Amino acid sequence: MELTYEPRIVGFLCNWCSYAGADLAGTSRTNYPANIRIIRVPCSGRVDPLFIVKAFQLGADGVLVAGCHPGDCHYSDGNYHTRRRVGLLRPFLDYLGLDKARLRLEWVSASEGKRFSEVVLSFTDTLIKMGPRSS
Amino acid sequence: MIEIIRNKAKEWLEKNEDGCVIGYERASDGMTARPVFIYEPHMMGKLIFDETCVHNLSKYLLNRRGTRTAVVVKPCDSRGINLLINEHQLDRDSIYIIGVVCPGMKESHFGRIEDHPLSKCRRCLHHTPAVYDVLVGEPQPETASHDYSDVARIEGMSLQERNAFWKEQFGRCIRCYGCRQICIGCYCQECFVDELDPLWVGIRSCPEDNWIWNIGRAFHLSARCISCGECERVCPVGIPLMLANRKLEKESADLFDFEPGMDAATAPPFATFIKEETLEKVE
Amino acid sequence: MARVGVFICHCGTNISGAMDITRVVEAARKMPMVVTASDNKYTCSEPGQASVRQAIADNKLNRVVIAACSPRMHEPTFRKAVAAAGLNPYLLEIANIREQCSWVHAHDRKKATDKAIELVKIAVAKVIRHEPLYPREVPVTKRALVIGGGITGIQAALDIANAGHEVVLLEQEPTIGGRMAQLDKTFPTLDCSACILTPKMVDVANHPNIRLITYAEIKEVRGFVGNFKVEIMQKARKVDHTKCTGCGTCWQKCPEKSPSEFDLGLGNRPSIYIPFAQAVPAKPVIDTDHCRYIKYLQWVADGEQGKKPPECRICEKICPTGSIAWDQEPQTITEEFGAVVVATGFQVYDHRHYEEYGGGAYPDVISGMQLERLMNASGPTGGEIIRPSDGAHPKTVAFVCCVGSRDQAKGRTYCSKVCCMYTAKHAIMLKEHDPHVQCYIFYIDVRAGGKDFEEFYLRALDDAGAIYIKGRPSKIYQDGKKMIVLVEHALMGRPIEVAADLVVLATGMEPRTGADRLAQKLNISYNTYHFLVEAHPKLRPVETQTDGIFVAGACVGPRDIPESVAQGSAAAAKVVGLFSRDALVTDPVTSVVNRDRCIGCLLCIAVCPYKAIDCETTRDKRVVAVVNESLCKGCGLCVGACRPKAVDLRGFTSQQILEEVNSLWS
Repeated sequence: MELTYEPRIVGFLCNWCSYAGADLAGTSRTNYPANIRIIRVPCSGRVDPLFIVKAFQLGADGVLVAGCHPGDCHYSDGNYHTRRRVGLLRPFLDYLGLDKARLRLEWVSASEGKRFSEVVLSFTDTLIKMGPRSS
Repeated sequence: MIEIIRNKAKEWLEKNEDGCVIGYERASDGMTARPVFIYEPHMMGKLIFDETCVHNLSKYLLNRRGTRTAVVVKPCDSRGINLLINEHQLDRDSIYIIGVVCPGMKESHFGRIEDHPLSKCRRCLHHTPAVYDVLVGEPQPETASHDYSDVARIEGMSLQERNAFWKEQFGRCIRCYGCRQICIGCYCQECFVDELDPLWVGIRSCPEDNWIWNIGRAFHLSARCISCGECERVCPVGIPLMLANRKLEKESADLFDFEPGMDAATAPPFATFIKEETLEKVE
Repeated sequence: MARVGVFICHCGTNISGAMDITRVVEAARKMPMVVTASDNKYTCSEPGQASVRQAIADNKLNRVVIAACSPRMHEPTFRKAVAAAGLNPYLLEIANIREQCSWVHAHDRKKATDKAIELVKIAVAKVIRHEPLYPREVPVTKRALVIGGGITGIQAALDIANAGHEVVLLEQEPTIGGRMAQLDKTFPTLDCSACILTPKMVDVANHPNIRLITYAEIKEVRGFVGNFKVEIMQKARKVDHTKCTGCGTCWQKCPEKSPSEFDLGLGNRPSIYIPFAQAVPAKPVIDTDHCRYIKYLQWVADGEQGKKPPECRICEKICPTGSIAWDQEPQTITEEFGAVVVATGFQVYDHRHYEEYGGGAYPDVISGMQLERLMNASGPTGGEIIRPSDGAHPKTVAFVCCVGSRDQAKGRTYCSKVCCMYTAKHAIMLKEHDPHVQCYIFYIDVRAGGKDFEEFYLRALDDAGAIYIKGRPSKIYQDGKKMIVLVEHALMGRPIEVAADLVVLATGMEPRTGADRLAQKLNISYNTYHFLVEAHPKLRPVETQTDGIFVAGACVGPRDIPESVAQGSAAAAKVVGLFSRDALVTDPVTSVVNRDRCIGCLLCIAVCPYKAIDCETTRDKRVVAVVNESLCKGCGLCVGACRPKAVDLRGFTSQQILEEVNSLWS
């Protein structure tokens, strides 16, 4: 039985924490599935909710938005706003028929290389179990 | 009630010679209402107020910035004025708000006024305008709590059912942008959908782009939509737009304890944050 | 028309070992607007960079993608390489195919290669939309403001002034000197505190580059690094310092005395006073809360109700230079600065919060700082250590450590760092004053982490014979003439009682009252205890997240004198570095508002963490947002909030990011 479905994940990672954490995952030679495509942004607060909607419309199976832990944002407040924007978008998309588990908001610090790996692994696993999107 | 509206409007216009009174008059079908702009006090007899006055007249205020205007508003419309003041679009001092305690509006189709109220009026919470300079009618008590049974019905469906439901609804969209044109929260000079570079969403009416258009517009109105229901009223293909907007309204109330348009001063959810909040649905 | 060159790096075998570089190069050649694609073993090396520069020239490239290690590693390197080839350094994008590809997908060559191709595709899609960006220059006003005239502020001011720049040293008290002026001796050297401090105070007063403004506070701070506009409120001294010679006749004759702040209530001072003998400036201020004549003037103004206060005016009558100025009002002084150093120091935790220890209730339960004043020869008792209640010399003295520190119940969980050391110092000094005294020190831990600190603590143990008992007292109460300390002796495991003649509570450090309000005016952060927050606790200890505003000393966290002095100098070095250029180069990755699209909802202003966005009125009378590029840090929060997409972030524009997303499905 071979796996035919490879979920496509778009990740928006903030330069100062989560992108650095993803780099550390590489420096520490951890391993995670190759389904994620990372787009670097200066702050998770730069992520326009329309980017997320667009990614899903194009066909993304999952979207990961990653930023610094609340309180640690390099720009002091960015992630608080991201939290609110994604907080409203996620249940709304779910209501419209896009499973909320497909949009993930994670806080990853620059020192959490292993955690980043685990996040990608768990997200990819979840998406594989969920199967392709219904539409 | 209409006499009070006419008198107050006339009084105001006599004191503000360069001003304009925006209200309702009888439409050419002799039955329903339509907006009217009155510049002369002696024309005030044109004003009417009955259950066919469905239009949200506050949107016209955006065209009269820098001038003095009086406007007749229902409670839902008045919330739009608060929204616009909060977003620095209107100057409170240059508007004279004639707030009407609303008995509820009725649908009118094919030359007939229906005998049941609009669905938005059936579940209306606030019967007294949120802001006014003069109140016409006796203040009514608020209805006890929000009725989100319409939203709950959709929430109760399975993911696949919801997906199919909205695919069907948005599939009918012809991208006429009537919803955007009538909406009081949609006042951008250039809408994101008009921007070609970057192209946020294609211009054609097709399922994929219609999906982004409707979600984008609804999301831009999250914690801003004042539930006047005009978008749904004017949609030529009967998309239940309020069903989407009200889901965001419910979530804003749940997550941020925020109801748009109740006053002009409170900072909206996206302008602020609470450091300690955990939005359980996200984290 | 974009002409893109793609350069794929092997990075030795770090990248090439996990993927098929040839396939990536071939795929890159087919990408839109890519004119050339090549690979290199070590692109960051000199030959590697040279080959990139050559390729740019040969192919007339105007956009470059380098697929290699993380941009966090080598973006500056490759920007310089691209600039050396004559291109704007921002016409470069880096695809991270090492840390985020080859190093994490080492076990699947095909997938790693596929992913690398897509990462290159994303980078190409973005770089095509890059515009040249040009850093701006803003001028720098080479004047510094140092807020706080304690040892830290004094040190910073002297260092900046000695480097040749003008400094304004601002102090809210009538004199500089801070907490160090109140100390008798300093650990571990037992230097006389005033002896080492006052020469520096005099240097400040005499320095041609330092303007000293005492008895003044910050009213408002506007502007940005290199260009701060500060409004200072000079409080009314009621004494004209331009006429006053500091002869001291007035304060010797003033009849109205009240508790001295400097002596922490242990002694009195007159209503026209200098806080201590070596005050700088040595000219007095009038305490308008207690001055009899001021009270008289108030009585007249209030309609002459009640008892008439005496129309004293003795100071005015005897002043030889006519310096008393009853009608002097507070004044606002506006100054411009290029940098600000905050050195507002600390205050002592109020021991009266410890009712269980009798703080505030018993006169013989005093704070560590109050003991300093008793020990000091210029103090209220002339250096005699006596009990405040009856003036007797104490024979048994109990010290309680960690008062207001390490105490969850009192809401102060941090360690104040200096108390173990100053308590040891007190024990040593008490023994010097009186060989028959016995000190008991109730501690939780003894923290003696600095240079010569451990030896100093052993001196207290061995030479001064202090008895250290591990245990936190539960209660202190009075019994006759003695103070009874109830404590569990932790090492013995049973409760004991010690009867002491004097109890000294080793109170901790906390930021000055109002530190939070000052921080808000400066737009810098502070923590729950109101200690100011540094930009990075390890690597940037004297900077803040606000460019041009530096912090030093105990206002950042508990620390001792050598650390504070070092920080004062460190902050000064940062300021002098800032002033070493005539203009500051700003990062061009900033936001910009398209005024035609802006609807003036001002949501961007609400979310900007740096208050970098303002509003202005266009010629067609619309209110629109405008970004101050010197303040903008390029976070893009405003862009994420903007509904009409009026504001955009250079270097991470919406078009660029959307095309990155689009390219994954094209």
